Amino acid sequence: MSFAYLVSLLYQYADNIAFLLLAALGLMIILGVINVINLAHGELIMMGAYITTLTYHHIHLPLPLCMILSVIIVGLFGMFLERTVIRRFYNDKLGALVATWGIGLILSQGFLLLLGPSMQSVPLPEWTVSFGAYSFGGYRLLLFAIAILVTLGAWWFFYNTRLGVQTRATMQNATMTQSLGVDTGRIYLLTFAGGSALAGLTGALYAPTTTIVPLMGTTFVDVAFITVVVGGGANPIIGALTSSALLSMVSTGLSAAMGTFIGRIGLLIAALVVIRFLPQGFSGYILDMKRRRMAREAE
Amino acid sequence: MKRNRIFEILPLLNGPMELGQGRNFWILFCLFSLVLFGYALVGSVFSLSNLAIFFAYVPMGLGLGLLWGYGGVLSFGQAAFFGISGYVYGIVAGNLISTPGGTLLAAACGVVGTMTLAAAFGYFVFYGQVSGWIIPLLTLVLSLILETFMGQTAGYQWRVGSVLLGGYNGMTGIPSLNLGSLQFSGATVAYYLLVIGTMLIVYLGLRVLVNSRYGHAVAGVREDPERTRMLGYNVNLIQVQVFTLSAGLAGLSGVLYVSWGNYMNPSSMGLLAATLPVIWTAVGGRNSLIAVLISTVTLRYLADALAVRGGEYAFLILGALLLTTMLFFPTGIVVSLARRWHVWRKRDLRMPSSIPAETNQEREDS
Amino acid sequence: MSAGPESDGENLLQIEDLTKSFGGIRAVNHVNLTLSKGELRCLIGPNGAGKSTLFSLLSGLHKPEAGRIVFKGEDITFLPPFRRVRKGLCQKFQTTRIYRGLTVNQNLLIARRDHDSSENGPLSWALKTLGLDDQGDRLAGELPHSAQQWLEICMALATLPDLLLLDEPTAGMTPDETSLTAEFAINLNAQGMTIFVVEHDMAFIRQIARFVTVLHYGCIFAEGTLDQIESNQDVRCIYLGEQ
Repeated sequence: MSFAYLVSLLYQYADNIAFLLLAALGLMIILGVINVINLAHGELIMMGAYITTLTYHHIHLPLPLCMILSVIIVGLFGMFLERTVIRRFYNDKLGALVATWGIGLILSQGFLLLLGPSMQSVPLPEWTVSFGAYSFGGYRLLLFAIAILVTLGAWWFFYNTRLGVQTRATMQNATMTQSLGVDTGRIYLLTFAGGSALAGLTGALYAPTTTIVPLMGTTFVDVAFITVVVGGGANPIIGALTSSALLSMVSTGLSAAMGTFIGRIGLLIAALVVIRFLPQGFSGYILDMKRRRMAREAE
Repeated sequence: MKRNRIFEILPLLNGPMELGQGRNFWILFCLFSLVLFGYALVGSVFSLSNLAIFFAYVPMGLGLGLLWGYGGVLSFGQAAFFGISGYVYGIVAGNLISTPGGTLLAAACGVVGTMTLAAAFGYFVFYGQVSGWIIPLLTLVLSLILETFMGQTAGYQWRVGSVLLGGYNGMTGIPSLNLGSLQFSGATVAYYLLVIGTMLIVYLGLRVLVNSRYGHAVAGVREDPERTRMLGYNVNLIQVQVFTLSAGLAGLSGVLYVSWGNYMNPSSMGLLAATLPVIWTAVGGRNSLIAVLISTVTLRYLADALAVRGGEYAFLILGALLLTTMLFFPTGIVVSLARRWHVWRKRDLRMPSSIPAETNQEREDS
Repeated sequence: MSAGPESDGENLLQIEDLTKSFGGIRAVNHVNLTLSKGELRCLIGPNGAGKSTLFSLLSGLHKPEAGRIVFKGEDITFLPPFRRVRKGLCQKFQTTRIYRGLTVNQNLLIARRDHDSSENGPLSWALKTLGLDDQGDRLAGELPHSAQQWLEICMALATLPDLLLLDEPTAGMTPDETSLTAEFAINLNAQGMTIFVVEHDMAFIRQIARFVTVLHYGCIFAEGTLDQIESNQDVRCIYLGEQ
């Protein structure tokens, strides 16, 4: 096993982490704060990809601008969804799940009817990095960097901005926060918009790398759901980081040894095992450990 | 002894946990059953075959109604269990093609095999006492993985015994159920009767189940799992049992399906297929077995009708229907209509106990 | 500590050195307690004394950090709650958790599990005494508050318990209803049921007038007959503050 092979494994590991983080972060933040699973998440990602691709081909804007447009439009759409549909399901997790599934169906089928079964992709920026016998796509390395930046940005937001602190407070105790004068309705609206915008970003970023079809969201939610289940809703950032780190290890290892498909089955089995013993996911377990440590120190 | 058992069951049939009780309901029910059976004498084989496939999906729908409406667990896994059963049946029946009773054994393998997988899945999920949203997500992932897996099993190397898995095009040439010389293939009166009979038996059996003590415990688990635990019930075990039974019913539908069409393909287990039972149950009203039955048959019929002129709109319409139902008819369309009927007739305003007094939206999330 | 005066001498429940903390607070602090078969014991103490925590340790909702619980000679310290109920230990909770959307009969059907209703003398008697035997088809959620509390007691009785834990059974009741409940408890105990009651209402405690255990900051502060406890200056202090 040459050093270059190890580097290529590392590259795949980073690539997988980026994919999991970008696919799941928006979903986890919405789950953590609002306690709602948005099953239309995949379709929001798809919208992001479509908007980027359409604006690139028809308005001929530079690619980064197209992506920013995706983020804004999908974020605004998320706001619209929150006001019209999500708001009615604050106390009904399963109801929100089913309703957003309906929305997802409408979106994916709608796009299929309006724009056809596929669309010409945006060309992938041609950057390659060579190492020994292996050459790596620079774009995907960029995606890894963006994924980490976005996650750290979210962390910074939650812990260092007023709105972020208010959001965390709402997450822990909405009634209390509300009685302290915080407009929790606005927090929920902005959170859902933010989570949607992240989905739009993911779609936009991955648009050059994949075929643009209306059902493309499923490849993202496939792993996003597992990441969410393993990470848990207690702390979206910690959950997303720990979950993607572990799951990518499983999938990279299994894929390298036995093929990408076994990698995916491995993820599902890993998720089942994790929730059997850590039902609240990693973030729930970490929160639990923290509390116990505080308790012991207090004595 | 036997006489006593039967008299014990009769009140369970007419119990409070299901919509539709009393003389009028049963008269209507018997009438419809007679019409269904009678149609076998009158209808053309073609129309019988078309109808039969609608009814074949009813056990799968009822299974989700039991699991979600009575048990409180939302699962997107019915299509996966449907498909697994169909594929297992195909494998066993295909390999035992010259063995008498081979198809019956295959049917048993299909249903039992899918129930075993469901029990294993259920063990991990329910014994961990996870949050409610985990099961819909993981069952969705299961469907996706299965569809992808079976989709790439093309080629001769993908076979079990002498049966090719078939990849994306699916497994073909699956032998229909047969009892000696009696073939239950799609275009036979025998198949139609088999499906009607199965559907009615499953419906009546589930009615008895939900009204039994066990059925009440299941409702208790849905209403307040902690409370039920503190009354001495092994709640985790009950949840696994209901999940497994529900999967078995999906498997039953799977066997009926392959007997009708003699094929099974990965798209029957995929994401869109996984959605359908959820739509049937939500639109009809998950808390009532008869509502689920009606909506399953109706929606399957509509989808079929749409397929002829505008099939591409089918899932768009279903998605819109699902959203509309969740927003405006959270207890289901059939159930809402029944409620209005009760009010209009100024009869007993109380709904059957399977339907929570308040909708989920009015209840605090646990 | 010693067993109460009215007992058969046989120990139904032994709590040995039981300890449980939440955060930095020791809710139950090395508690030792014994209940005899056929006893009717009251547990009182100021708010935050750890009474509910002790009960949750008994019914299995929480696991202790130290100590053990022996019920009918068997160590049940780490047994899951549903198994404890099957062994005959059932709790009626402070907040009513009946199945509001189901009828009274259905609630009782679930509580009975496999038991035949005709075998349960205390239950039939209780239903009649508390006026629930003709309410069978009423939705549990529509019952008045006190009736809901009584239904919950009946559901606990339906599990054929050997030890009945009552956590503040008269919360939210009028004085008349409280008196009825006390009378009920005495008569139930007279039929042989061992009962362990947590209560704040002193009128209730006085009507029952049996052996009392006082809990304070998670420890057993005092134990004795009602008269002994009532005349105990230290007990007065913990309730009323230092004088």
